[in-house]
Amino acid sequence: MKQKSVLKQITKSREFSLVIVLIVLCVVATILNPSFISPTNIAQIFRNNALTMVMSVGMLCVLLTGGIDISVASILAFSGMVVGMLLKYKVLENTLLLFVIGSVIGIVCGLLNGLIISKGNVAPIISTMGFMYIWRGLAYVISNNQWASGADVVGYSDFGADGAVGPYIIIAVVFIAGFIILKWTKVGRKIYAVGSNAEAARVSGINVDGVLIYTYVIMGFLSGLCGALSVSIYASAQPNMQYGLEMDIIASCVIGGVSMSGGRGSVVGTFLGALILALITRALPLVGIDAIAQNMVKGILILAVVVLNVVTQRMMDRANLERREM
Amino acid sequence: MAEDYILELKGITKIFPGVKALNNVQFQLKRGEVHALMGENGAGKSTFIKVITGVHAAEEGEMFLNGKKVRFKGPRDAQAAGIAAVYQHPTSYPELSVTENIFMGHEIRKFGMIQWNVMNQEAQKLLDRLDADFSPTEEMGALSVAQQQMVEIAKALSTKAKIIILDEPTAALTQSESEKLYRIVDQLKEEGVSIIFISHRFEDMYRLASRVTVFRDSQYIGTYDVDGITNADLIKAMVGREITDMYPKPDVKIGKEIFRIEGMTRTGYFKDVSLNVHAGEIVGLSGLVGAGRTEVMESVCGITKPNAGKVYLDGKQCKIRQPLDAMKEGIILLPEDRQKEGLILNWGLGQNVTLPIQSELAHSGFNDTAAEKKVAKQYLEEVDTKAVSIYDPASSLSGGNQQKVVVAKALAQKNMKVVIMDEPTKGVDVGAKAEIYAIMGELAKKGYGIIMISSEMPEIIGMCDRIYVMCKGRITGCLNRNEATQESILQLSMEKGNTKKEVAQG
Amino acid sequence: MAGKSGREISITSNKSALSRVLSWEGALVLIFIAVNILGVILSENYTAANVLRQMPRYLAEIFILFPMGYILILADIDISVGSIVCLSATMACFAGNAGLPFPVVILVCLLVGLICGAINGAILAKFTELPSMIVTLATQIIFRGIAEMSMGSGGTVSYTNSADLIPLTTMVGPFPISFFGVVIAAVIFIVVLSKTTFGRKLYAIGSNKTAAYYAGIKVEKIRFIVFSLAGLMSGFCALVLLSVLFSANTTTGQGFEMEVIAMAVFGGIATTGGKGNLVGGFIAAFIIVCLRVALGLINMNTQLILVIIGLMLIIAVLMPGISQRIKTMKKMAKQS
Repeated sequence: MKQKSVLKQITKSREFSLVIVLIVLCVVATILNPSFISPTNIAQIFRNNALTMVMSVGMLCVLLTGGIDISVASILAFSGMVVGMLLKYKVLENTLLLFVIGSVIGIVCGLLNGLIISKGNVAPIISTMGFMYIWRGLAYVISNNQWASGADVVGYSDFGADGAVGPYIIIAVVFIAGFIILKWTKVGRKIYAVGSNAEAARVSGINVDGVLIYTYVIMGFLSGLCGALSVSIYASAQPNMQYGLEMDIIASCVIGGVSMSGGRGSVVGTFLGALILALITRALPLVGIDAIAQNMVKGILILAVVVLNVVTQRMMDRANLERREM
Repeated sequence: MAEDYILELKGITKIFPGVKALNNVQFQLKRGEVHALMGENGAGKSTFIKVITGVHAAEEGEMFLNGKKVRFKGPRDAQAAGIAAVYQHPTSYPELSVTENIFMGHEIRKFGMIQWNVMNQEAQKLLDRLDADFSPTEEMGALSVAQQQMVEIAKALSTKAKIIILDEPTAALTQSESEKLYRIVDQLKEEGVSIIFISHRFEDMYRLASRVTVFRDSQYIGTYDVDGITNADLIKAMVGREITDMYPKPDVKIGKEIFRIEGMTRTGYFKDVSLNVHAGEIVGLSGLVGAGRTEVMESVCGITKPNAGKVYLDGKQCKIRQPLDAMKEGIILLPEDRQKEGLILNWGLGQNVTLPIQSELAHSGFNDTAAEKKVAKQYLEEVDTKAVSIYDPASSLSGGNQQKVVVAKALAQKNMKVVIMDEPTKGVDVGAKAEIYAIMGELAKKGYGIIMISSEMPEIIGMCDRIYVMCKGRITGCLNRNEATQESILQLSMEKGNTKKEVAQG
Repeated sequence: MAGKSGREISITSNKSALSRVLSWEGALVLIFIAVNILGVILSENYTAANVLRQMPRYLAEIFILFPMGYILILADIDISVGSIVCLSATMACFAGNAGLPFPVVILVCLLVGLICGAINGAILAKFTELPSMIVTLATQIIFRGIAEMSMGSGGTVSYTNSADLIPLTTMVGPFPISFFGVVIAAVIFIVVLSKTTFGRKLYAIGSNKTAAYYAGIKVEKIRFIVFSLAGLMSGFCALVLLSVLFSANTTTGQGFEMEVIAMAVFGGIATTGGKGNLVGGFIAAFIIVCLRVALGLINMNTQLILVIIGLMLIIAVLMPGISQRIKTMKKMAKQS
């Protein structure tokens, strides 16, 4: 009985330890630069990481099912490029409509991933790897070597402009909706069930293929939405936009305690993970690390966290064994 | 209607690509009875259960529930009709809480929102009914197999099931845990639940069931009153023939000691285990599931690393760090889980047999396929495998024949001195069991040392010269052939408080 | 010497399995021919001599195909190979620009690759709980990150003593020398996979890792060797790439992992492990190379070519499932 409560405590305290890491980070950053925790700086951090945060909720769902999606940054680029081109050639200027178009593109991309992974029985890494190049390539193709600049998207960019509330609202809505859906609805719990034990889910009457499909559709939807959002925030659209963003998103989830083998992870943890990653990247220049090294730091962070997870798990197992009576 | 049947199935036929898994079978379940379903592995019991629970749709046949004809499109329909199944391997969600495992698929909701507090309370009530010793908020993966099974039963109860199907529920349970399960089943029966019970253990059937239905080779053989049928008749119904000498233990002259382990210890699994084996001797290693028997032998064979302990072969100490070292010394393990540990199921039999010795047969790293084929044929025929060619995939064989392939794989390793068989007859049907015992006898005659781990009392008493008994990771005693009885073994398997203290002091 | 019941077990294989395998490779050859016909139709410059001259640019990746095939057979994946190519090429440029003799530069290039691969392998062998996907995902950005850092803000580095690289571009008859490199590597990797105990062990691990371990195979050692091999071959790839491009930049090697996985899967290797061989992959590689040469000749956008290869990957991984479905449908139809 004792070992179980310890296990429970540790899994429960994952979020708690993340909060501690967050506080330590803030304290260290404040010592290095007293204005780090100013409202404007915090607002900047959220705005600059809006895409990562929003999409990490989708990635959480995908990882919960035991899958992975590395095509998200390409979906974002394709959707963003479509929005950018529509604006550039003045086909459409209604902000809401453009966001809807971006989201629909994302949904279609996600649906394709979901169908191929569930109905075609293809490993998620393989399918999304293929689409990673397909959507990115198509973003280049539709751009026709053009890009949408600030002048092209004037008006549209007001939604995500510095000081506008748009991005913050989207972040808040996505996290709150994600929290409610994953914690309190059947739709959300089915995602956990499929990731924890797909065979059991099938036997108990859950449509596993259906769950996988809507999980990738959610991911696609958020990616498409972020495509439109990205154009608004950065007031430009290029085919190579947000290249490598999938790594930030996966890193956020991994830091937030989402298991790569499925079934374990929470929205709160993901939020904290994304926030920690955002603070670290923001704080790197303070300790004299070049912006150019950011990618490497993220890679090392992912590796360090997953290795740390394994090591603590092993230590816990060993402690449990030693406690066992003989 | 003469009898009050709650569930009746007629003329059920289920076809999988290439095989008829069920051929025109029938079944009747009386209201409030416990009905045992027996048969050899592959007789079609599990498929039949899945037809009842709507997982599989039968090609032919009818099903009546309370006298009304029903047709289930999926597991959901069966659930709604009050049929719940507790499968052989707990089909749980290890990362989720007990409550969630119980209510998965029929959560209590208000305005579409899951009511966690209400569900936790309900789960607690169900667990109290089953006299469970854990809380509903615990993580499923942290529970023991017996506890997980209890959750599965609670899950069945939560759906207000009128018919509960238990598929080999005692297979992974210890004696005392089985007793607890028996009590739960009795209690359910009193509450008016009808129960279908699949088991290999005659003990379960006698203790619980009032009637028994036997399947053989995908066909219905008959339904009998438990009080009116003898053990032998039942075996005959299951196997299709009589088995006269189940345990052909040959009289072998026991030679000198060839194998000895001393002070084997692995933290949390077993402590200070010592035993020895003589040439031509069959040594049993008994005890309850979870006593650490498999773990000891896996450490001996280098599969896991022990914290302490020495292994001697022919009086010389050998260093074993990995499986290959043990194999080179001549200590061969036939692992417990054939399908996961013993065989590569999608490979042909031939390559399975020669996998450990391919390097010995090879010339400077290049495989000698001609030699491999010859060796594979020789040993597969020696153990009399029922197969057409060495290219048959291992997955196409029955459990018993798969076990024979594992034996052939061991025999092909010419330097074999000691062979450790871990549950060699688990999941093997009665007919093939006898053949495996015969092979063991042959090996003993040839002067090999044999260690057999088994949870089945009759086979361990029937086949072994000496029996070591383990309890909670320690050897609690060693019985000679003439002093071994079910009672004496059981007593050593369940050593209680004060003796443990003595051991700890000593 | 038959068993007690006198039952004989045959040792002659039934041919149908063999012929089925052959038919897939046969189909690949047909596709190869079709692609060449397509090339001739698309561009009048699509001649044998031209194709062979253009080839080295695309050949480089094929070096990675072979170890990637091994990795997929192990039921693992390595998506860091493209980044290893980038890092190896970058380091080779720095070594060459520092005035080191060319053989030493080659050594640096291969060694960097080998070390990167060994790092992957060591992490995977040490922390067996981790899937290779997540480990190589992390090292993918780490390796490229190191290259980015050493290149600095310019994001590119060129090989100044380009004369050094000339020997790598010599033509032997009509064939570029790198073509022979690929063929030699192909022969070695194919023979090792199909004829040696090492190859058999790869299949054993990919089919059932636990059973392989119980049968005395040193699973972690073999995974370490194979991932190291992937690094080493990425070094070779970087070398050939340098001889064509004379420089490295932050995007060097991007997408290589997808292309070689596409080649392997297209060639009949299952991503679930334990199945397939490299002969098909080798033919598939040349299908893709010829396709790229043809599309390059008509100046097709390189990004669009990546789209096509991505689509080929998706179709290739879907194929086994589709053919399986057709087979069961046929069987069902026969039974009823």
